[in-house]
Amino acid sequence: MLKAIRRFFGEKPSGQVARQRMQVVLMHDRMDISPDIMQALKNDILNVLSRYMEIDQASIRVDLEQGKEYAALISNVQIKRIYRHAN
Amino acid sequence: MAGTTIVVTSGKGGVGKTTTVANIGTMLAKMGHKVVMIDADIGLRNLDVVMGLENRIVYNLVDIIEGKCRTQQGMIRDRKLNNLCIIPAAQTREKNSINPDQMKTLCGELTEEFDFVIIDCPAGIEQGFKNAVAGAQKAVVVTTPEVSAIRDADRVIGLLEAGLLRDIHLIINRMNQRMVKRGDMMSTTDILSLLSVPLLGVVPESEEVVISTNRGVPLVHERGSRAGTAFQNIAARLNGEDVPADDGRDVTFMDRMKRFLWS
Repeated sequence: MLKAIRRFFGEKPSGQVARQRMQVVLMHDRMDISPDIMQALKNDILNVLSRYMEIDQASIRVDLEQGKEYAALISNVQIKRIYRHAN
Repeated sequence: MAGTTIVVTSGKGGVGKTTTVANIGTMLAKMGHKVVMIDADIGLRNLDVVMGLENRIVYNLVDIIEGKCRTQQGMIRDRKLNNLCIIPAAQTREKNSINPDQMKTLCGELTEEFDFVIIDCPAGIEQGFKNAVAGAQKAVVVTTPEVSAIRDADRVIGLLEAGLLRDIHLIINRMNQRMVKRGDMMSTTDILSLLSVPLLGVVPESEEVVISTNRGVPLVHERGSRAGTAFQNIAARLNGEDVPADDGRDVTFMDRMKRFLWS
């Protein structure tokens, strides 16, 4: 009964709360990426970008940023020239 | 053909690793395979009690590795199945009395004689975990539908993959379908989407498990137990059989009828 009242006032079922909390927690845990994987990620980003533009290979920076409810990948690369067509 | 080494691990303690090892090992032996189970939890020996073999221990894993006895002498034969053995953990030694290379050598030696070598990994991710995982080709990660167990399972999966053990399967233990229906427990689908490893089976929460460990007789010996059936199916899947998923659901009227007719 108490539960029904709580649900009525918009309390989510605890299973759903657990799932959402775990999605955030596991993402944070997994952001502790090893240097090898980070380097591989950088190389892949460079390879994809190079098909569309000439870039300064040494300038790339990749950072993972954690907010309270989100995780973001922020990358900065210096562009030298943009191609007219993809290579 | 050489056998397979499977490590059963979880990160968190108390989720049912030892029970899982005992049941899977016993079932594979019942299917006719030669099976040895290794208790790698040095200092906290338990597999022997769950299997009801605690009175027969003479030597242990550390004795075998240090060459104090032959491998054959260190193995204890099951009471019911003579193609099933366990190697108990040492109770009064420390985790670093063995190293990963030694475990790898032992597993290699055992797979020449046995079809399945099943390792009961200690909780945690330190030395004991590294030892237990070293010789394995396949990993079974056990979790329960609780946040702490799932987080630890995710961590362990990450470590296994980093150690290049990619053949990883998940068992969800102590699933309570009534709570899932009520919305108060994460469902199988929820857990699979969080952990993203293939599912080996779901074991329903059950008093029968406690009763069977009290007696020291694995559940798979009995018919008509839901948790036991789940473990039987899991063993069959490890044996390469295609058993349809049983979502740890409640027993229906038809199930009762079937059970009544079969037994």
